[in-house]
Amino acid sequence: MIDVRQLSYVYSPKTPFAKQALADITMRISDGDFFGIIGGTGAGKSTLVSHFNALTRVQKKSGTVLVDDIDLGAKKVDLKRVRAKVGMVFQYPEHQLFDDTVEKDVRFGPKNLGLSAEEQAERARQAIELVGLDYDEFASRSPFELSGGQKRRVALAGVLAMRPEILVLDEPTAGLDPVGKRDIMELVVRIKETTCPTVVMISHNMDEIATYCNKIAVLGRGRLLGVFDPRALFGTEKALREGSVRLPLVTEIAGKLNAAGVDVDPAILKEDELVQAILKAAENA
Amino acid sequence: MRDVTIGQYYPARSLVHRADPRFKMVIMILYMVMVFFCESFFSFAFLTVFVIATILLSRVPPLKVLKGLKMILIVLLLTTALMMVFYADADSAPLAEWGIFHIYLSGIYASLKLAWRLLLLVLLPTLLTLTTTPTEICDGIESLLTPLKLIRLPVHELALIMSIALRLIPTLIEETDKIMNAQKSRGAAFESRNPFKKIKAMLPVLIPLFVSSFRRADDLADAMDSRCYRGAKGRTRMKVMRPHAGDFIALLGWCAIFVCILFLKYNWLGWSFIPLLGI
Repeated sequence: MIDVRQLSYVYSPKTPFAKQALADITMRISDGDFFGIIGGTGAGKSTLVSHFNALTRVQKKSGTVLVDDIDLGAKKVDLKRVRAKVGMVFQYPEHQLFDDTVEKDVRFGPKNLGLSAEEQAERARQAIELVGLDYDEFASRSPFELSGGQKRRVALAGVLAMRPEILVLDEPTAGLDPVGKRDIMELVVRIKETTCPTVVMISHNMDEIATYCNKIAVLGRGRLLGVFDPRALFGTEKALREGSVRLPLVTEIAGKLNAAGVDVDPAILKEDELVQAILKAAENA
Repeated sequence: MRDVTIGQYYPARSLVHRADPRFKMVIMILYMVMVFFCESFFSFAFLTVFVIATILLSRVPPLKVLKGLKMILIVLLLTTALMMVFYADADSAPLAEWGIFHIYLSGIYASLKLAWRLLLLVLLPTLLTLTTTPTEICDGIESLLTPLKLIRLPVHELALIMSIALRLIPTLIEETDKIMNAQKSRGAAFESRNPFKKIKAMLPVLIPLFVSSFRRADDLADAMDSRCYRGAKGRTRMKVMRPHAGDFIALLGWCAIFVCILFLKYNWLGWSFIPLLGI
């Protein structure tokens, strides 16, 4: 559970360059959520999630963030514990790979947690298998000679080896081709189902947000415009849609069909829902 | 690390800002030489007047210029103190003596002059970086080094390397920030007190940084290639540097100051008032 309470954040405070990045944000991410965060550039998405594992520390008198029982607004925070609990995957995570073998790179996190060598090795093996790479084939290879998609999987394994309870993803599919995008998203769903029940995802891709998330927070210029159910956001919240929120492709198609007189619900979020609705409409017609 | 500013250019509208960077650099070299020809307190004071005048002319807050002295403060104090206590003058008796240390009147003079010289040496170059953008400095150096093309020195390429390096410093800082955050998220600690541990802890940052620098260099080379970049040959500039009358006047003025200082030192014509100006 992540509980954000009246969180504000100012870059370069008390200088002429001060910039309010977050203003009075209150929201709650419950266990088991697939929580989406959307908003235009400069909306404060990355600043917000960097609070979740104490990379950005809560400023004085600027609210607080609770991760389960850990108060990140406190003076002393057990950083190791927070970072083991909240796994953070940045944009282009493959740029953080550094060791000479995949196995060693994945072990970096567990090693920093001070775990025993056997435990490190065990966690690395499980994480590599979890992201869909064959351990025996990849463990001893250099991460730098892998393909882009494989590198990203290794980087993801490096975070998963910490066994986080909450996984935060910043645009996990950026820069991948459509097949790679789908693979990574299916991987995230598998991770959510098996090891890490809570996922927070920043994305610009409304198709992904609509397909996978059960709650969506919309940020605009550092303010929280609301937390919505996806069907409500893309179906009925017209006011927001006219702002920065674009529609997922399937919802747009459904809306246009509906407007053209076809009997299709305009608040459709997934491909197969749309296909079913069109088939049904054809049957009725 | 986000707050690091690169270079210390202070934007303002002034004669010094507008001056041709090549002239500024030539004057700088001339000035450095003349600082070493200063010998008497009078000549130091004489030169200082013009330095102060230039600082006032530049409309940079004098405090900002003095900040440039911060980094040499320790060197300055240390050398002055050492000079003071170790200076030996066989012709006069020491004012004070303490073991191997002894202070002579001439030693005090010599160390004060040393401090003054160091101050002067730092002040004007600081002003140069405050009033000239890194790009202007690069272009200026390229233009000044043009004669070296005759001996096949790749002047344009050197200038290009310099300006690319300057341009990429902020990018590298940003990248370092990102990678450090990613490794911190995996439990890395960079706050260790032990310097060896600290260096070892930086490896997971340095290696990705090198990898991405090479990738960026490749991309940049491709981008330049695809825009038909062929080096200096037949290349024109968008901003052509043109010296103005003011630049020549400034250069001539500083040459005149140089001549005055040479006269103060050598007194070629045997004027009797020069020795009266003091030590």
